Amino acid sequence: MAAAVRYRALGALALAALVGCGRSERIVVGAKNFTESDLLAEIVAQQIERRTGLAVERRLHLGGTFVCHQAITAGQIDLYVEYTGTAFTAILKQPPLSDPDSVFRFVAAEYPRRFGLRWTAPFGFNNTFAILVRRADAQRDGLTAISDLARVAPQWRAGFGYEFLERADGFPGLARVYGLKFSAPPTSMDLGLTYRALADSNLDVIAGNSTDGQIEALHLVALADDRHYFPPYQAAPVVRAVVLERYPKLAAALAELGGRISDDEMRRLNALADVQHRDISEIARDWLAARLP
Amino acid sequence: MLLRQHVYLIAVSTGIALAVGLPLGVLVTRRPAWRRPVLGLANVFQTVPSLALFGLLIPVFGIGAWTAITALVVYALLPIVRNTYAGITGVDPAVRDAGRGMGMTDTELLRMVELPLAAGVILAGVRVAVVVSVGVATIAAAIGAGGLGVYIFRGVATVDNTLILAGAVPAALLALLADGLLGLAERKLVWRPR
Repeated sequence: MAAAVRYRALGALALAALVGCGRSERIVVGAKNFTESDLLAEIVAQQIERRTGLAVERRLHLGGTFVCHQAITAGQIDLYVEYTGTAFTAILKQPPLSDPDSVFRFVAAEYPRRFGLRWTAPFGFNNTFAILVRRADAQRDGLTAISDLARVAPQWRAGFGYEFLERADGFPGLARVYGLKFSAPPTSMDLGLTYRALADSNLDVIAGNSTDGQIEALHLVALADDRHYFPPYQAAPVVRAVVLERYPKLAAALAELGGRISDDEMRRLNALADVQHRDISEIARDWLAARLP
Repeated sequence: MLLRQHVYLIAVSTGIALAVGLPLGVLVTRRPAWRRPVLGLANVFQTVPSLALFGLLIPVFGIGAWTAITALVVYALLPIVRNTYAGITGVDPAVRDAGRGMGMTDTELLRMVELPLAAGVILAGVRVAVVVSVGVATIAAAIGAGGLGVYIFRGVATVDNTLILAGAVPAALLALLADGLLGLAERKLVWRPR
């Protein structure tokens, strides 16, 4: 009886210690709801764990841009990977701009002031929107750039995810800049399903991401943005400023990741997850071991 | 417009689910060996997540209303088949024997005794199917089929709670309205001993 009470008390103590530790010494890493965001979050999480020894809680696949932004400004997550162009247009509501450096400088200056958030070094690649068509169609009709699309658009069917249809740097502006008129208003549907619908010839044009692993696998091509409509989308961790101040080692760990992932490298990593279905924590571990031993 | 699409999706899918589910439910009361595979299959369908089902259906039905309707039918089948089966097997054997004793054929027994007595349980299944469909039909927006889910998906993409509510509130009201109307029909149609 006495022993049972003692054990229970010990258990309660251990639990309290665990919870206590968790609260103060834990970095919460979030991600948006697509593979690349999950992958980069996992790389960041493992980098923090091995370089700083801090515990990391993963809250991956949360939702779109706005969900992550609300979560980090509310302090429910401490860090997530954001894209400069997305922050510039969708969060800071600026008209789209095509120069990568000015976009990064602007968001890096505005985020601390407005939200108490800091941008750390970009990974190096640019994941812009990619207007995708089937490779066979592109070859048949001689399409290489989005401006070629205007010619065939009246006979073609387009389908886009809800975010692309709503964003300032999304479809409405694209249609205006390139003079695109499709056979019917674009079908609004789930982003992931648009790839399948394009591959199965239910749609002819979709908007995906340029670093997507599926582009190669499904025999699609991205049309060049020859009028420079899409802003640059450099990916970089966005971190709560108070967290960076509390854990000085964190900034150094994140700085190490700067400039390490090229467009091709990102496409390759995404394909490992989406096409070869490898576990993202395994992909992240292998990549960190190979590139940042 | 979106509300009309929503009602259309539910009406067509419920109609098809009834046309398929009722005979299936009757069939399994007549062929007990079929009970497990039929109900098992309907159970399995019920557990497939709707987005996954849409992905599987695109190569067959493409994008748009028919894929959504197919998914809705698949989800509505289980409550209809199961309740038809339960309603008919729940009929008092003495009543069935009395019918046979009066010289009724199997079809007459079904039409004049079993179905009327089972109507309450069957309609309860239909009510469940319709209310579930109102909710599931919001996901039709993921496959380009429109409906109230368009508001919800746009709202989620832009974290605009007003838009989310513009889809969710009418959907909830629609579910309540459909349930109320079917409840009314149930009271009118179902025979009750006094």
